[in-house]
Amino acid sequence: MNPGVLLAAAGAAILISILGAFRAPRGWLATLLAGALAAAGAATWILTTGSAWEWRSAFLLGGQAVHLRLDGVSALFLALLAVVGGAAGAYSREYWADAAHSCSAPRGRAWWSALLLFIGLVLLSSNGLHFLIAWELFAVSAFFLITLDARRREVRAAGWLYLAASHTGTLALFAFFSLLATRTGNWDLGPMRNHTELAPLFWLALFGFGVKAGMFPLHIWLPSAHANAPSHVSAILSGVAIKMGIYGIVRFSGWMPVPDGAGWLVAGVGVVSAVLGVAFALGQHDLKRLLAYHSVENIGIILMGVGFALVAAEHGYPAWGALALAGGLLHVWNHGLFKALLFLGAGSVLHATGTREMSRLGGLWRAMPWTASLFALGAAAISGLPPLNGFVSEWLVYLGLFDAVNQPGAAVVGAIPAIVLLAVTGALALACFVKVCGVVFLGAPRSHDAEHAHECGGWMRGAMLVLAAGCVAIGLAPFVFWLAVHAAVAAWRGIWADAPMPESLATLGFVHMGLAASGVAGAAWLWWRAHRHGWARGLTWDCGYAAPTARMQYTAGSFAGIITEWFSWILLPERHEHRPTEEFPQHAEFEEHTPETVLERVIEPVARLVMWASGMARRLQHGRTHAYILYLILGLIAVAVMAVSWSR
Amino acid sequence: MISVLEFLARLAVWLFLAPLLPGIINKVKAWVAGRRGPPVLQLYYDLARLWRKGVVLSMLTSPGFIAGPAIAWVAVLAAALLLPLGPLGTSLSFRGDVILLIYLLALARFCTAWAALETGSAFEGMGAAREVSYAVLAEAAVITAVLTLSMQSGSVSLSAMLTPSAGPGAVLLAVGLFAVLLAENCRVPFDDPNTHLELTMIHEVMVLDHSGPPFAAVLHGAAMKLLLFSVLLVQAVLPVGELSVAAASGAMIGGVLLVTVAVGLTESLTARVAFRRVPLLLTTAFLLCVFALLIAWKGGAA
Repeated sequence: MNPGVLLAAAGAAILISILGAFRAPRGWLATLLAGALAAAGAATWILTTGSAWEWRSAFLLGGQAVHLRLDGVSALFLALLAVVGGAAGAYSREYWADAAHSCSAPRGRAWWSALLLFIGLVLLSSNGLHFLIAWELFAVSAFFLITLDARRREVRAAGWLYLAASHTGTLALFAFFSLLATRTGNWDLGPMRNHTELAPLFWLALFGFGVKAGMFPLHIWLPSAHANAPSHVSAILSGVAIKMGIYGIVRFSGWMPVPDGAGWLVAGVGVVSAVLGVAFALGQHDLKRLLAYHSVENIGIILMGVGFALVAAEHGYPAWGALALAGGLLHVWNHGLFKALLFLGAGSVLHATGTREMSRLGGLWRAMPWTASLFALGAAAISGLPPLNGFVSEWLVYLGLFDAVNQPGAAVVGAIPAIVLLAVTGALALACFVKVCGVVFLGAPRSHDAEHAHECGGWMRGAMLVLAAGCVAIGLAPFVFWLAVHAAVAAWRGIWADAPMPESLATLGFVHMGLAASGVAGAAWLWWRAHRHGWARGLTWDCGYAAPTARMQYTAGSFAGIITEWFSWILLPERHEHRPTEEFPQHAEFEEHTPETVLERVIEPVARLVMWASGMARRLQHGRTHAYILYLILGLIAVAVMAVSWSR
Repeated sequence: MISVLEFLARLAVWLFLAPLLPGIINKVKAWVAGRRGPPVLQLYYDLARLWRKGVVLSMLTSPGFIAGPAIAWVAVLAAALLLPLGPLGTSLSFRGDVILLIYLLALARFCTAWAALETGSAFEGMGAAREVSYAVLAEAAVITAVLTLSMQSGSVSLSAMLTPSAGPGAVLLAVGLFAVLLAENCRVPFDDPNTHLELTMIHEVMVLDHSGPPFAAVLHGAAMKLLLFSVLLVQAVLPVGELSVAAASGAMIGGVLLVTVAVGLTESLTARVAFRRVPLLLTTAFLLCVFALLIAWKGGAA
């Protein structure tokens, strides 16, 4: 067995699963999981041996010979694709079941397999033309998955916005690959770092891939698409699809020369995305929209790692550059795992209550203990808390940045604010996830729907358990996963291959194990101690109030109020309030909505202007023949004048 | 064997000395106010009593209400054990342990706020919201202080960072860290541990519904956190690691006592600021740390 055989098996299994999607849902799931397993096997092979697999065929596609390659960088993303694709696919079996969605469920299964196949092809193809074809097919299959429930207006709107944004990015990639092909003379991709004249092309790639990655301010499509897609689709969009943007940036910054200062820009965009992503998340009332903004935040953290790695590469600091890149790449995995877990948890909540509005939820832990505890685990992981995986990758990034500070050089100026803002991001994310967990799962149910929720079934629970296990495993044994990340770093820059594992990573792993064990033991001990005579149950202390109701609880908006006030300069919240006035107030209300600032305040006005201009231009075409003849004459005169004036 | 004994000694210091600090603070406050005040060992009596007591739980709470304080306590203890103890040194030192320390305190915050939200009480929600929001600014100040120390020593591990003194920016750093200590431990002027008005509290309001052994864990954890920040402050400012064992022990004990008395005096002599001014105060602390960092960067390192 070598990676090629495994990949062929994976491809074949996914192709068969597309056929089975309509008639044999069980067969679909079995082949899908088999394919995911085979792909994971191939990726593990590459990552553990640190080798690369390459296959050139004489078979022509679009006039180009098929050329596939799997190396450390692409294997890292392939492994994530296999895990999240498999788990969320299994989840969809119950979440988007035939019984409830008789029409869209089979379609959803087919597009799911297609999405996995095309993302896989993007990762494997080593030819610019084929990369573009796979990229486009991947974008289109994601569109059909987002709009599975096309009867709802907001779903269609989100789908169109996604498609438009995605194609804006693809346009830049078209330019990028065709310019690359004209400059190098062929479509073949691979290391070409000695062609320094190619460096400016990186800006095109950064824009094109940045739109897909959802970095600020190119993230406009991301919140609505993630919020309105079915939850298993949100999970793969956030867990894997946006990571393909990161893949593109990492891939081509590794293969191609990069213009001076690009690292600074990437790192700067990363910092901005991280802080503003979490700030926007705090302002949200919609559970899935909130999670979507956290994707912007985490993409920011990844970009910080990648950006500082580029800075290190430019100025020649392999030691801390490798650490920052390793942190960023490990965060790709980590974010994929815990964000998929959180979206699946949000899906279970939506499934059980029919709403994503946090102000209508509450107290769900009673009905959904599994979902609540797994979501809590994901929340702790995304807040970067030890002993879970989110902390490990942020720790690596921190370590890289601290080393940058402690070595004299140009990077100090940038690394200091980056460290401070990374810490601020962590604290903000913690605030946000305390809010989410508290408002959704704790306290008393705020609505009838929340009161009558039910736990999700085995498939959904199992999928979440797999992802949660991944979060715990990376947290407790980071030194095992260093191998994989190191293979990717080595594939990115060959000369960084001898960067050793930081010795303290192993220590950190053991400390995490000890911490997890003592946390469990401490909780058990306190539980036993508190419960030894049983406990009395009483009303919550509400300042002596005897009949507290669910409506008196703190809401998501008020919880985040202090922080959203700090960021109101960018969040621009829209408030409608009607204060109670008389002694016996008849009517009072308060409503707050945080718009997507970039989309609603920048893109939409510009779009309206374009629409207005085109509307004006359309008035020229009204169907009156005599006016058309006038246009012709005016045109002729204009051409004549031009011809005469130029000939002089 | 020696290392096990040493570890146990360290554990004992944190577990058994921590509850002394709130007692000293209360004594200082009583002394300033001209009262006799509660005994210095009052918190020990309280803890022993709470540990024996039964528990009343809100009807809304999940098992997380008990697990929260337990994990928060473990996290604070783990953070404390990472910190070197003057002449005792540290039992475990590795590159990047300081980041782990900061995030362990964040874990404790997550668990405390989680437990507060368990009860569905508006007051506890309010306290949790304040705690996590102000922590954002406090964290910025702490990481800046850490950056200063890291730059000063050229290292990212606590034992190396805390050995020398903080250099020329030491006073700035001391004031900044002292403000963070007050904020993180919910003392005046950020919060008033003695107030009985739920609307105006941060930390105390989050633990209104705790009782019995879980409440004991909360109180003991808070005391350990206070000791942790005092020890951190003293070692950051004084070159404890460069002194002889006797001098270092004296400096440590004297320094921690000084910090404790200063907390008591601050509490007696100033009033709690209005909540909307808390961010301003914390930003000032952050800026003090930034200036210390600038001195370390441009002045000290050169």
